[in-house]
Amino acid sequence: MAFPHRPDAPELPDFSMLKRLARDQLIYLLEQLPGKKDLFIEADLMSPLDRIANVSILKQHEVDKLYKVENKPALSSSLVNADKMAGRTRKYKVIFSPQKFYACEMVLEEEGVYGDVSCDEWAFSLLPLDVDLLSMELPEFFRDYFLEGDQRWINTLAQALHLLSTLYGPFPNCYGIGRCAKMSYELWKRLEEEEDGETKGRRPEIGQIFLLDRDVDFVTALCSQVVYEGLVDDTFRIKCGSVDFGPEVTSSDKSLKVLLNAEDKVFNEIRNEHFSNVFSFLSQKARNLQAQYDRRRGMDIKQMKNFVSQELKGLKQEHRLLSLHIGACESIMKKKTKQDFQELIKTEHALLEGFNIRESTSYIEEHIDRQVSPIESLRLMCLLSITENGLIPKDYRSLKTQYLQSYGPEHLLTFSNLRRAGLLTEQAPGDTLTAVESKVSKLVTDKAAGKITDAFSSLAKRSNFRAISKKLNLIPRVDGEYDLKVPRDMAYVFSGAYVPLSCRIIEQVLERRGWQGLDEVVRLLNCSELAFTDMTKDDKASSESLRLILVVFLGGCTFSEISALRFLGREKGYRFIFLTTAVTNSARLMEAMSEVKA
Amino acid sequence: MDCYTANWNPLGDSAFYRKYELYSMDWDLKEELRDCLVAAAPYGGPIALLRNPWRKEKPASARPVLEIYSASGVPLASLLWKSGPVVSLGWSAEEELLCVQEDGVVLVYGLHGDFRRHFSMGNVGGPGGWGKGMETGFWMPGSSILMPTWVTSNSAGCQSLRWSFSTTIGLQSAPSCWTTVCQDRVAHILLAVGPDLYLLDHAACSAVTPPGLAPGVSSFLQMAVSFTYRHLALFTDTGYIWMGTASLKEKLCEFNCNIRAPPKQMVWCSRPRSKERAVVVAWERRLMVVGDAPESIQYPWRADSYLVPELDGVRIFSRSTHEFLHEVPVASEEIFKIASMAPGALLLEAQKEYEKESQKADEYLREIQELGQLPQAVQQCIEAAGHEHWPDMQKSLLRAASFGKCFLDRFPPDSFVRMCQDLRVLNAVRDYHIGIPLTYSQYKQLTIQVLLDRLVLRRLYPLAIQICEYLRLPEVQGVSRILAHWACYKVQQKDVSDEDVARAINQKLGDTPGVSYSDIAARAYGCGRTELAIKLLEYEPRSGEQVPLLLKMKRSKLALSKAIESGDTDLVFTVLLHLKNELNRGDFFMTLRNQPMALSLYRQFCKHQELETLKDLYNQDDNHQELGSFHIRASYAAEERIEGRVAALQTAADAFYKAKNEFAAKATEDQMRLLRLQRRLEDELGGRFLDLSLHDTVTTLILSGQNKRAEQLARDFRIPDKRLWWLKLTALADLEDWEELEKFSKSKKSPIGYLPFVEICMKQHNKYEAKKYASRVGPEQKVKALLLVGDVAQAADVAIEHRNEAEMSLVLSHCTGATDGATADKIQRARAQAQKK
Repeated sequence: MAFPHRPDAPELPDFSMLKRLARDQLIYLLEQLPGKKDLFIEADLMSPLDRIANVSILKQHEVDKLYKVENKPALSSSLVNADKMAGRTRKYKVIFSPQKFYACEMVLEEEGVYGDVSCDEWAFSLLPLDVDLLSMELPEFFRDYFLEGDQRWINTLAQALHLLSTLYGPFPNCYGIGRCAKMSYELWKRLEEEEDGETKGRRPEIGQIFLLDRDVDFVTALCSQVVYEGLVDDTFRIKCGSVDFGPEVTSSDKSLKVLLNAEDKVFNEIRNEHFSNVFSFLSQKARNLQAQYDRRRGMDIKQMKNFVSQELKGLKQEHRLLSLHIGACESIMKKKTKQDFQELIKTEHALLEGFNIRESTSYIEEHIDRQVSPIESLRLMCLLSITENGLIPKDYRSLKTQYLQSYGPEHLLTFSNLRRAGLLTEQAPGDTLTAVESKVSKLVTDKAAGKITDAFSSLAKRSNFRAISKKLNLIPRVDGEYDLKVPRDMAYVFSGAYVPLSCRIIEQVLERRGWQGLDEVVRLLNCSELAFTDMTKDDKASSESLRLILVVFLGGCTFSEISALRFLGREKGYRFIFLTTAVTNSARLMEAMSEVKA
Repeated sequence: MDCYTANWNPLGDSAFYRKYELYSMDWDLKEELRDCLVAAAPYGGPIALLRNPWRKEKPASARPVLEIYSASGVPLASLLWKSGPVVSLGWSAEEELLCVQEDGVVLVYGLHGDFRRHFSMGNVGGPGGWGKGMETGFWMPGSSILMPTWVTSNSAGCQSLRWSFSTTIGLQSAPSCWTTVCQDRVAHILLAVGPDLYLLDHAACSAVTPPGLAPGVSSFLQMAVSFTYRHLALFTDTGYIWMGTASLKEKLCEFNCNIRAPPKQMVWCSRPRSKERAVVVAWERRLMVVGDAPESIQYPWRADSYLVPELDGVRIFSRSTHEFLHEVPVASEEIFKIASMAPGALLLEAQKEYEKESQKADEYLREIQELGQLPQAVQQCIEAAGHEHWPDMQKSLLRAASFGKCFLDRFPPDSFVRMCQDLRVLNAVRDYHIGIPLTYSQYKQLTIQVLLDRLVLRRLYPLAIQICEYLRLPEVQGVSRILAHWACYKVQQKDVSDEDVARAINQKLGDTPGVSYSDIAARAYGCGRTELAIKLLEYEPRSGEQVPLLLKMKRSKLALSKAIESGDTDLVFTVLLHLKNELNRGDFFMTLRNQPMALSLYRQFCKHQELETLKDLYNQDDNHQELGSFHIRASYAAEERIEGRVAALQTAADAFYKAKNEFAAKATEDQMRLLRLQRRLEDELGGRFLDLSLHDTVTTLILSGQNKRAEQLARDFRIPDKRLWWLKLTALADLEDWEELEKFSKSKKSPIGYLPFVEICMKQHNKYEAKKYASRVGPEQKVKALLLVGDVAQAADVAIEHRNEAEMSLVLSHCTGATDGATADKIQRARAQAQKK
């Protein structure tokens, strides 16, 4: 289990520097308001803040009380105005993170408190969640960019990349695909040019960078996850690198917040495993542990002393973790069998492979009729739509009708969103274009082709999943049973049925050192203009650094993708580092697209 | 060289003073200096002259002329004075000329006589005012109110500080003299009225007495504060001079010169870490250097002169000459003092002998080396070279240093190299044509950056650039900064066409790092050359930098596209809000329409802040689809009353029809019907129906026993059979109404099969009911159903009957323990049999 890295795999850079940087900056901001102060934190920022500066650090810098601000958008004005009414005078400082937008000041002005507060920016954009995982903790990125066409986060992203290159040296080789990737890349390069000289002459630590838009591969993100870490995320929701295990897991009456990262020895060994292996591994581990405990029987006093002082603590820790993960496994098993997980996975695989479409459609219909879960139903519909180049008009209508009847009419808006994002669309009946599409095509043929908004272009976009799947061999031919214990390709993260598209693209580009020979795939992805390579002839990049690859997911990545690339890294002697706007999964994507009544 | 010390004059035992000529002035003065208001800036700065026609004794004949000269007398500017009577002139630290008028208005001019701005010190009341340099006081005779006002300058420019004192000090007549002193970083005013001295700060006024002041004083005629504000000198009507600290706490020395006439000027002549503190006093025909010594140094005074205090001495200029008087620096004194045996002196001698090819060179050198003082000797020569004005002398001292260096193994070269560089720069700026007579100490105090600024101010761009290149200053601080200044000056040349200026600037500047084209463009715009500014902006590589100026120039649409180009959404937003105020709504929306990125940004903003505008935007675009969605959202979020919600939905449905989205329109209409119905149900049955989905509405009806209504609803809304069956099944099981469920199951053939019945009964732990349905489950799901109700044996039978491998293994996996042992065997046997076949 837990395959070791190849001996020549490069070392990961130390990302704890980012944490220190963020902490120092926060402290600096806090110290600017001397004396005792209360800190109001927006709920979303609570967990990231906790990872950077815990309560005792805040207390050291004279933070008296901490408040969590639940309502969104957080209205500082209400606080200020309440104070005014009560005749209290205090000093106020609003700290915007990761960056202050012009609109922020305007809102403050409109609320009539602009003069009462001072504003500052906490440029905290990169949170190292793990040794190889950096998150911007911007879940809103996905909806803002891919649905609303709002580009304001691109600047934040470019700043973050700039920060990385100042800290870890320039990136000699850059690849990317997607509109957002391209824009971010260009903005980032411009930033570098403006402040040139800083990174020049530094030895690159990370040799390659790959930027990828989420909309290049929605399929992978929509699949049910079956590697342990992904499954934990799907079941319990990992938030900011930690998870709340409820009483059913901890087998006590209390919930427990557990940090999930490489420091958790037990977790580190099973996180990338297919779920079917996890249980046997854990029981093996339990036996080993017992054996280690048992050793003390034959010990003399000195050995015993040694054992207690050195090993016991570690064993106890391991014991605790082991029982937690076993609890989690049991809980997952219970939940999954209840929902007839096997059936669900079977349908998903059928969709990916493209057979028995009718059967899958009626499965989805039944799913909706039974009101199993609004998010799950939606996910299956989207998966069907993307793999099939849109639903046939009859299904499109009937599934939507069923859905509205089951889960409420407000989801009419959800469907409009999904269509705009290209997640749930209708097949064009033959050659006749629908009204909207003809409008789009008119715009395209228009001289002002550049004027099509992102939203429209995604409307005109067709998923060509099936053809891509064939080209890139995403569905492995398997003779006999796929041995999930000894995976032979990245498909293991989906029980051997499907190689994640995003990961396959990355693999291919790295292998070919560019997009040569992938023209057809790029065209099918509707990214003809949007795939780019930028290689600097830099002999300073050591071969070691070239095997260190930063993968940037714009719009979020899933744990399955991370596991798949970790696997690829072990096979090829690479080390991947992940930078994502947020860790996501199918449910989060669907929720981002849903319109829920206030 | 014997006469080198000829111009040295000893003061007391320890210090020598020397006076040497900087320039011979060939300025063509039309007036006597004594008839003019004079102001000379420190650090070798320019001289401003304004003939004072407002003096009583000489009635004004014509408008006076304001003239500005460099320190070497080269005319820089000359302009006819057209404003009111001037009380005093002064130079700010940025070398701007301040002209204080009688009425308290201060006019600010540049070095080249270009008017910059003016500001007022407020109503100063009376005409009586006197000033000196940057400090000008006004007072109203008779009213006993004194309003000293002075101008300070800081990086933000000049501003006036004005104090009016509420404390009356009984001024019967004008104060005989006054000055500002600085204590603990607070400015105070020292004021002499008759025999009394008063110290004023902004709140209080106190009489003070200098310690050890000789008796018999009836009036103070002059007072002077040193360059560093540390020391104070007072001149009394008895011809007595008191020197002490500015805090008036300590007396340094005193001197009686026995001249009762009021001196024309009195200034301090000392340098940092000076041995001697001395004051230079000037009368019409006499100049006296006075210090802590019984004898003073006296210079005959040929013509009308003017003293300029400097950091390390005093500059004296007259019609014909410009001289510098200072205390001889230590290094120079050691080397040149007659019969000096200091190591530096010996080294200089040795080098001279060496040049003469005399063996004495070796003797001198040996002498120094024996004492191990060669390093000091070299250092002394280097230092002394810095204090010499004449290049020949500098050279011979440096040559000596260089000679001495040859005999030293490890002498760090930096000090020598740096001194050579500094002297080269100093000699260049001291040149007659440039006319900045800086001494080495002044130069070090001023720093090279400020010196470069001053050169730029004098428009001496080539020299400034040469200095930068010579000193190898980083481009951003040096060359490109100067080029940028040059460009800013260039854009003011109105006689050159826009194209030529833009091209010339671009040719010179190219892509020099650190040059901001937008700054230059801003300057061009400031001169009213908008077209030129736009041309210059084209060269600006960072589009973000172009935006603010474009906005200022009201080129908002261009600004918008530039902002979008920059990719900075904040910038786009700034421009958007600007445009929104500038254009009318229609034009604004049209502009947006051509800029999708800006449009989506503005939409986002509207979604959070201005919902109504969002609607208008969609209307403008005929985007009925989004308009429909907008109204749907409104029906959930904005409207409270049911009528309002239905109305909103109706609008939405209309919009959807217009968008040819029949599906959405129909769905919306259905929702309207449902909403009305739910309302009726709430009225009739109570309970909550509003906002439930159709499915949940029917379920709720069944749960509350309203089966009739439920079925009616299902028919009305054409709920498909399958859904209805699932729905009823779940609802009845929830009610645990098994009887009704059975009735329902028999009503007709189930469209969803009977396995769900089994499942749901088992979920409610009703095995008895479950078994009833298990028998009715179709063959392909039979095994599953039997297993669910726990009938493993029968399941095995069915599986065997089906000869289905998958089913058999499924059953096998359910066989547990001893009870099912027999069944397991049975399956194994059947399997074996099947394999045989």
